[in-house]
Amino acid sequence: MEHHLMWSWPVYWYLFLAGTGAGAIAVSAFIYLRGPKGNYGERYFALAKYGALIGPLPVIIGTGFLIFELGRPFRAFNIMTSNFWYAAFNPSPMNYGGWLLVLVGGISVLYAMTFLDWNRYLKGGLAATLMRWSDGARKPLASISAPLAIATAVYTAMLLGAMPSRPLWNTPVLWMLFTVSALSTGIAAIMLANRIFYRKTDDSKQDGLFHNSGYWLTLSDIILISIELVVIALFFMFAYVTVQDASHAIKILLPGGELAPLFWTYVIFIGLLGPLVLESFFVIRSQYSGGHFHAPYLFEIAMPLAVIVGGFMLRYVIVVGGQLTGPIGL
Amino acid sequence: MSDHPEEKNERREFLKAAGGVAVGTAVGGVALSQAGMAGAKTEAGAEGESDPGVQYGMVIDLRRCIGCHACSVACKAEADVPMGVARSWVEYTEKGQYPNVSRSFLPRLCNHCSEPDCVRVCPTGATYKRPQDGIVVIDQGVCIGCLYCAQACPYGARFLNPVTRFADKCDFCIHRVAKGLVPSCVNTCQGRARTFGDMNDVNSEISLLMSKNPVSVLREHIGTNPNVFYIGLDSTDENTKKPGQYVRVTTHKGIDKKRG
Repeated sequence: MEHHLMWSWPVYWYLFLAGTGAGAIAVSAFIYLRGPKGNYGERYFALAKYGALIGPLPVIIGTGFLIFELGRPFRAFNIMTSNFWYAAFNPSPMNYGGWLLVLVGGISVLYAMTFLDWNRYLKGGLAATLMRWSDGARKPLASISAPLAIATAVYTAMLLGAMPSRPLWNTPVLWMLFTVSALSTGIAAIMLANRIFYRKTDDSKQDGLFHNSGYWLTLSDIILISIELVVIALFFMFAYVTVQDASHAIKILLPGGELAPLFWTYVIFIGLLGPLVLESFFVIRSQYSGGHFHAPYLFEIAMPLAVIVGGFMLRYVIVVGGQLTGPIGL
Repeated sequence: MSDHPEEKNERREFLKAAGGVAVGTAVGGVALSQAGMAGAKTEAGAEGESDPGVQYGMVIDLRRCIGCHACSVACKAEADVPMGVARSWVEYTEKGQYPNVSRSFLPRLCNHCSEPDCVRVCPTGATYKRPQDGIVVIDQGVCIGCLYCAQACPYGARFLNPVTRFADKCDFCIHRVAKGLVPSCVNTCQGRARTFGDMNDVNSEISLLMSKNPVSVLREHIGTNPNVFYIGLDSTDENTKKPGQYVRVTTHKGIDKKRG
């Protein structure tokens, strides 16, 4: 069904990658700015580092996909230079999105660089200078990255939502859906990194900190998944109670619709309800076992992976479904 | 300003001969629209309204359309449109239950809307509505082929030209109109279903036709204010049919059978 779509795989991969990357950057900045006094205690720095290092690459790769999707990729910078004064104030979402992506790409790379241990890669004065720069720049960069990353997630929904000709996208609920999904997949990516890169030590304090961070990340994910379920319900309600175009377009996701099997299987059950039930089980169980959060390794890998798969399928279903539906009447 | 091409040419020749308003240096289209604006000014000025300028539009009388696709063919030849895509095409709507059945034809092209959504979303400013004649054009020197405009068009009028890799669509045969001719599809129409002209000129053929007939536009609820009007339009499609009614819409738009 995809071969005739005007926007196909580069666009939904971009929405997923940029959303997840931006979510990871935003969560990382939130955790870092909260500092050791936050829920993660002394483990905050490791978690912020995971998010900061995970975030930039997907955003940059996704932007590359977008440019690849153009009819004329080598003209991509026409968005900024076609006529500077016009282009700078052009209200097209793709225009300010272009500026935003350049900003986010640059600043998130700088933010990630502040978490690198330069002494491992460089020698002498340069490493020392970079380390000093990192310590000074980390906090300002985190403060800029957080709003920019949220803006990236919001803008992807603005991009799709700007058109009355695409009733499935043209809804004020879409930005909430994409933003919550971006944060949720961003947290999932950090959970995954947290689990994979943690090596069990003999130090019981470190183990305790690790399990505590797992607990709070899982709890945050539960809250975001719950919000996302509410937003999806709103998405359906808004479309369904709107007469004409939107209520016809939403049929593609309702049972019997062309994309309903994909949407309900991957987004709702695997991506949201499955992780919600499992994560709630482990979080609630920890309350009855003296606050000691522990989940089997397999589950700690599978739950965030399921959330990420759900986030991808959400973008896929929305991008493809929006293009398969349109205004009614000739 | 009259719509008849011959008269346009005569008028231009007259203006040229009279050496009026620097027509000699301007291209034909600009000269024509200036002449049109000058004419409109004198009429509207008395009522103190702002000058509406020239807005080219088209009326397609579906009672006269026989579904011969001559417009599609003429457009293909005139604009050198590659295989698989179309600037101008004809849709069929079949409906009813045997023996009470009907087939109606719907010739399609860019609506050159007064509130074009495609222009609003264009990230580079490559597509814009020409102030002098209201034709929505694409500047191929600027377009990056992102197809945002094609997504935003409620009429599926835009596509990616597989040869040039730009967004492409009907431009009301701007090269012909600039020379005082009518667009190729109007010129070739076998049933003379199509009428082209300045909608803001109350004396043009198109204005007379619109004043004497009930006209409608496609997907009016989107609010783009199209400038292509239809006489005898039935907008029933698969989504708006009554329960139990048989309706089938065939777009003939390229190889793609789904509506854009």
